[in-house]
Amino acid sequence: MTADKEKRRAISREAARRRRRVESDVFGDLSRLLPLQASVRAHLDKPSIIRLTLSFIRMQALLRETESAGCNAEAGHAVRFPRGVEAGEGRLFESETEEIAPLDETKMYLKILEGFLMVLSTTGDMIFLSDNVSKYMGLSQQTELMGHNIFEYTHPCDHEEIRHNLRLTAELGCSQKRDFVMRIKSALTHRGRVGNLKSTTWKVLHCQGRVKLCVASSSVSCLLLTCRPLPLSHTLLSTHTFTSQHGMDMRFTYCDQRVTSLLGYRPEELLGRSIYDLCHTLDTSCLNKNHLNLCLKSQSVSGQYRMLVRSGGYVWVESHSAVIPGVQPSRSRPNPSQPLCILSVTYVLSGVEEPSLQLSLDQTFPRYPR
Amino acid sequence: MSAGGSDGTADRPADQAAEEEEGPSQAGSAMPSVELPRKRKGEVEERQILNFNLEDDLCRSEEEDQQVKMKCFREPHRQIEKRRRDKMNNLIDELSAMIPACQPMARKLDKLTVLRKAVQHLKALKAGASGAFTDTKHKPSILPQDELRHLLLRAADGFLLVVRCDRAKMLFISESVSKILNFSKLELTGQSLFDFIHPKDIHKVKEQLSSSEMLPQQRLVDASTGVQVQADAHVRPSHLATGARRSFFCRMKHSRVTGKHEDKHSLPGVSKKKETYRYCTLHCTGYMRTWPSSQLDPEADCTDKETSSLNCLVTVCRLHPPVSHQPPKDVNIKATEFVTRCAIDGKFTFVDQQATTVIGYLPQEVLGTSCYEYFHQDDLQHLAGKHRQVLRSKEKVETQCYKFKTKHGSYVMLQSQWFSFTNPWTKEVEFIVSSNKVVSGPGNAKDESEAGSSTLAHEEAKQILEIPGLSTGVGMMIYAGSIGTQIANELGDTYRANSSPSSEASSPFGSVQEKCPLTSRSTSSREEEAGSSSHSQSLADSSKEASGSSEAECRGSFICLALFKHNCRSKS
Repeated sequence: MTADKEKRRAISREAARRRRRVESDVFGDLSRLLPLQASVRAHLDKPSIIRLTLSFIRMQALLRETESAGCNAEAGHAVRFPRGVEAGEGRLFESETEEIAPLDETKMYLKILEGFLMVLSTTGDMIFLSDNVSKYMGLSQQTELMGHNIFEYTHPCDHEEIRHNLRLTAELGCSQKRDFVMRIKSALTHRGRVGNLKSTTWKVLHCQGRVKLCVASSSVSCLLLTCRPLPLSHTLLSTHTFTSQHGMDMRFTYCDQRVTSLLGYRPEELLGRSIYDLCHTLDTSCLNKNHLNLCLKSQSVSGQYRMLVRSGGYVWVESHSAVIPGVQPSRSRPNPSQPLCILSVTYVLSGVEEPSLQLSLDQTFPRYPR
Repeated sequence: MSAGGSDGTADRPADQAAEEEEGPSQAGSAMPSVELPRKRKGEVEERQILNFNLEDDLCRSEEEDQQVKMKCFREPHRQIEKRRRDKMNNLIDELSAMIPACQPMARKLDKLTVLRKAVQHLKALKAGASGAFTDTKHKPSILPQDELRHLLLRAADGFLLVVRCDRAKMLFISESVSKILNFSKLELTGQSLFDFIHPKDIHKVKEQLSSSEMLPQQRLVDASTGVQVQADAHVRPSHLATGARRSFFCRMKHSRVTGKHEDKHSLPGVSKKKETYRYCTLHCTGYMRTWPSSQLDPEADCTDKETSSLNCLVTVCRLHPPVSHQPPKDVNIKATEFVTRCAIDGKFTFVDQQATTVIGYLPQEVLGTSCYEYFHQDDLQHLAGKHRQVLRSKEKVETQCYKFKTKHGSYVMLQSQWFSFTNPWTKEVEFIVSSNKVVSGPGNAKDESEAGSSTLAHEEAKQILEIPGLSTGVGMMIYAGSIGTQIANELGDTYRANSSPSSEASSPFGSVQEKCPLTSRSTSSREEEAGSSSHSQSLADSSKEASGSSEAECRGSFICLALFKHNCRSKS
């Protein structure tokens, strides 16, 4: 009896092995059909193969949808170069000689945008990520990220906001834009080297983009986002910017001299004033959102809002801010009880609008010559 | 390995049981109880005879052969296995949902079939598509580079611009510009950039393009220390070097061919020019780049060609405004509406210019005065109540229609929505925002005539008015302004009451619990509208947030810890 049972077990084990071989073969076929680099292909496990297949199918469906929706002006190879310079697909100003290296246009865009592209499904799956994502997150594009769900990689406190942004309204025609800040896991050490997944830190990403609606099948609808890590140091190259420091309640604790030429306030006048008082009332919610982002995520980009000019009227501005430990003379290890403060770089976008208009109490106080 | 059991598949659970008994005692008492469900499940699976399940079971049995000694890991291992299988099953389900050939099937397909159909589908796609597989110049990618570029510009709502630094001639623009500025690429290529920039921004853009010494020194603000670092003179040449970054905002002309771009007045820089051009704000980021001039600008005259290289700015111009800028839907400003901002005692600190058309006063005439000076006597009671309510509520408070005195002495009927703004950090109310709209009705004219005749009566009546809740001594005169001040003081008292007995708990949540019942009891008696439970709930909420200094510190330090980690990173 035992021998019989042993034989049956051997048969079923052999059958199982055969089935496994067949399955592996099919997985192999699948991976060879995907446009992947050989080195990547060799190291893919089965779930990753399926994920990448899904990404590929979805992106193809998305591109088909884009073409059929009549965006043909931009579809595919829309970028044409000045006459005499057309050279090869995707190359800008290709040259035979060494002195000018051929520019890969897409890479150029990514470099300029200082971020990566993310295509998100309505359920939060990261269908596609441009390959420079590993530069920002330290995680491999194909194996670790593509096809996974974004909720696995983002800060739990931001999930609600992400979900809110993933919701699509059914309206067509109006461009559904998205602009939000979220924290994502990064396996990069602060020196830019790739650490391991266990020692991840949070990176603040500014995501901007739009919704791509697919009429035919809602599973193809997705979000197209460019994600840019918010830099912690800014390069000021324009006269139309000024920096300021605030307490966590957004009251000024410092402001640089440029504000005088741009807005008419002397820096001393601003100390202790709340930024909410200095801005147009209709922009309160915009500032509020910015402030909340700072409290929760430690970095933020405000939208555009209006700051009131001392003598009347207002200018449109945009601020990029971050929470930092209060400036101390010594650069040694930060003290936990060190007060935090907000550092803001504000870009002035417009000239003074309606200069004769006095909208707020501050603007009515006459300036006494000193 | 094991003995016992009747047939192949049912053997496995039984095998496990046998192994359990044989194994060392450290397996623990929990194990046998977990065994039983496993066994049952195994039997059920066997009956379904699904390929992958069967195979996986046998797979596991082989693995477990090797793990006879590692019994203490079996339970989590089983869970890991289960999770792995569930994940795989989910992926297979998703895959079958995306493959058209798998769609109309009545019953669920098995794994192998789905995979095979996926292979067929990919082959079909490969035959149809061109980009991904014919592009040999770049490394293979799920999304071909051209498509990626297109998607990037779509997502970024931008276009690429290459412009000569010396003459600001636009050498190259991507097609996507038509979606953003409504000009075609042909209309713009070869034109001077300055023809399309808002006149007030020309100077700024010139500065960015300029490679001369007039460019302000590069200043870096290192946010990890907050220190501004002034770059020295010798750094200036780097502005010209390839890769020097530029980032600026500017307004560019937007051709309004159709009338569909009827934007709200609040969009930045949207000023109607005589030529019916509008401007939209763009954020331009990019860097300087050098190219041989012959390649770039075939139209350039000979003198240009002599110079070997051309400095250009390569930039991506992204459209603003982002979503967050849009004015909230509920604050729709029409011609008969205006917005004001008051301090918590009701004094105007901000008045929209549109107010003038409604109330006759210029903003500066009204700023600094209390809103109560303009309210009609009949409305004082209800408005004071609303004032009190809004300071304690997180939600918008709507007033009923009330009269507002205009400059000419007459009254206009308004209805307002009040909203108290709380500083997210200190949780204290900073000011009240009021969006006011005119309520037109036949009653207006009547009010005006009434108002004219009885202004004197009003002044006297105000003095003896009783407003419930306000401490009015006998014979005390109430001036309009003092109503607001008194309500504001009440709020201050509420805050102080919260902060005093806060000695013990270090956690912000602990101390809050105690205070909550206290304040809700004391203030509910004063509130007229405290009837509904939801209101007292919001009251409790707002008193929870009306923190004293010590609470704010606790909360502050709580958040401090969370952010400390972040700052530590940026420090070193």
